[in-house]
Amino acid sequence: MKLFKNKIFLLFLPAAIFMILPFYGFFHALTQSTGGEGLAHYEEILSSERFLSSVWFSIRTAGIATIISIILGLVFTKLFHPLLNNTFPRLMVWIPMLFPHFVWGYMVILIFSETGWMAQTLVAAGWLGDTSNFPVWTRDPEGIGIIVTYVWKEVPLVILLLFPVYASIRPEFYALVNSLGGNAWHRLTTVDLPHLLPVLVESFLIIFSFTLAAYEVPALIGTTFPEMISVLGYEWFYGSSWEDRPLAFAAMVMTSLFLLILTLIGYFGLSRRRWRAMRGDRA
Amino acid sequence: MIRKKAMFLSLTLLFFIFPLTIMLLQSISAPWRFHTGQGIDWGWQGFSLLFQNPQLWEATFTSIWIGFAVLFINITIGLFTGKALASYTSYGKPWLEALLLSPILIPSLAIAMGLHLFMIRVGLADTIWGVMLIHLVPTVPYSIKIFHNSYQQMGKAMMEQPHILGAGFWTQVFTVELPLLRPAIRSLTFLTIVISLSQYAITAIIGGGRVLTLPLVFFPFLDNANTSIMAAFSIWFALIPVFMYIIIEALMMFLPYSRLPWRNHR
Repeated sequence: MKLFKNKIFLLFLPAAIFMILPFYGFFHALTQSTGGEGLAHYEEILSSERFLSSVWFSIRTAGIATIISIILGLVFTKLFHPLLNNTFPRLMVWIPMLFPHFVWGYMVILIFSETGWMAQTLVAAGWLGDTSNFPVWTRDPEGIGIIVTYVWKEVPLVILLLFPVYASIRPEFYALVNSLGGNAWHRLTTVDLPHLLPVLVESFLIIFSFTLAAYEVPALIGTTFPEMISVLGYEWFYGSSWEDRPLAFAAMVMTSLFLLILTLIGYFGLSRRRWRAMRGDRA
Repeated sequence: MIRKKAMFLSLTLLFFIFPLTIMLLQSISAPWRFHTGQGIDWGWQGFSLLFQNPQLWEATFTSIWIGFAVLFINITIGLFTGKALASYTSYGKPWLEALLLSPILIPSLAIAMGLHLFMIRVGLADTIWGVMLIHLVPTVPYSIKIFHNSYQQMGKAMMEQPHILGAGFWTQVFTVELPLLRPAIRSLTFLTIVISLSQYAITAIIGGGRVLTLPLVFFPFLDNANTSIMAAFSIWFALIPVFMYIIIEALMMFLPYSRLPWRNHR
């Protein structure tokens, strides 16, 4: 094989050693989730009302946050990418990336909680009778606080991922669409989207899998019911009874398998598109 | 273009500068009670109360130490793998890239829970070394991506020339590649350290509460500290990556072909 003939194989060695860590961890979680009792623990959590409502709440919250982040990031990059070539505007956009997620979550509490800056200012301005009239946007059962925090934090990441692609699209493509009589919609669908699609799919996967399974933000700004799957898993892992531990493993393994299947679908879609593009078809 | 610039400025001011300003102002004033008609009461109590906490300094040093270790391992793995990916063009490359990205797609909570028993068995649980290892999981895939892009931008010719001139592997890394990878190392520094500072759950699981990093101090603080202290703590979180960035920037001046401020140059 060519791979072994030259030094490339040796260069992959550190990454291969590193990959043992997550994969060993994942397979160990898999074996612990069965605990020698087959799929009993999976049956147990799948019949638990608490788990099912948490799964629905997680997918819904993470999905909304991811889609809004990607749309806003796309619009922002599309409108302003020439300005982002300069260092200073770029630094301003990336301010949220300087803070950990939960710190940004605290900032959302500071501004949007019922006793936060916004409620106080509105009362002081006389637009709101009392701070208790302010809507509940943090630690709310709808997950608004979680979504706001994630969108605010992830839009700069989307801009960071999309900006190099936009910078590399040659203006001649747009000129071609124009000269053929295309409008803004045609420019978006025939120039922007084909260029961006691989990055968009990858950003979706990265952000969705992070928001679905991260513990810190929902633990800080979420409620106890409904709760995100990660909060439930962490609680089961560290809970009072030792018997809940396999349940934590089962819940996290199921989330992982779901995300892996989603990744496979995404990459299969992309490689089929690439294959078609090579043959000259237009999908 | 001017209208666009104005729109860009107002959007960034509203969504990116404004929250930072709020946090800064709150950190240097007493907790706000605007609804009772009070104004702003300036003062350094937020920061001084924060710094009086002995746990804060211990956690800061632990976090910085973990951050640097994680960063250096990241640069090493990223450099090798990025180079390998850029020169590997055979069939199946998208799948290889997907595989290398998978550690950030599998929930890190699942990985940390799975590794917990293993870490206990080999004696890495509750130690700083175990925490460093687990922090590699959510960071290394990003490093590989960033370095892969940089190597691709550098192009093959840049890699072949030193080889033709007879440079060995390490000479090539230090005299050609690392100086050209400087922008990548900069973004990597920020990304790695912020991600490492963001980990509460996996640090708590592997460190067993024995390894005290900044998030482990921040979370319990939330219940009993006032908003000034918490705002000061939040600012502290952003100062650490900046501080570490300055150190990395200083270290990078020792790379070949760097402009040294104490040397004359035109």
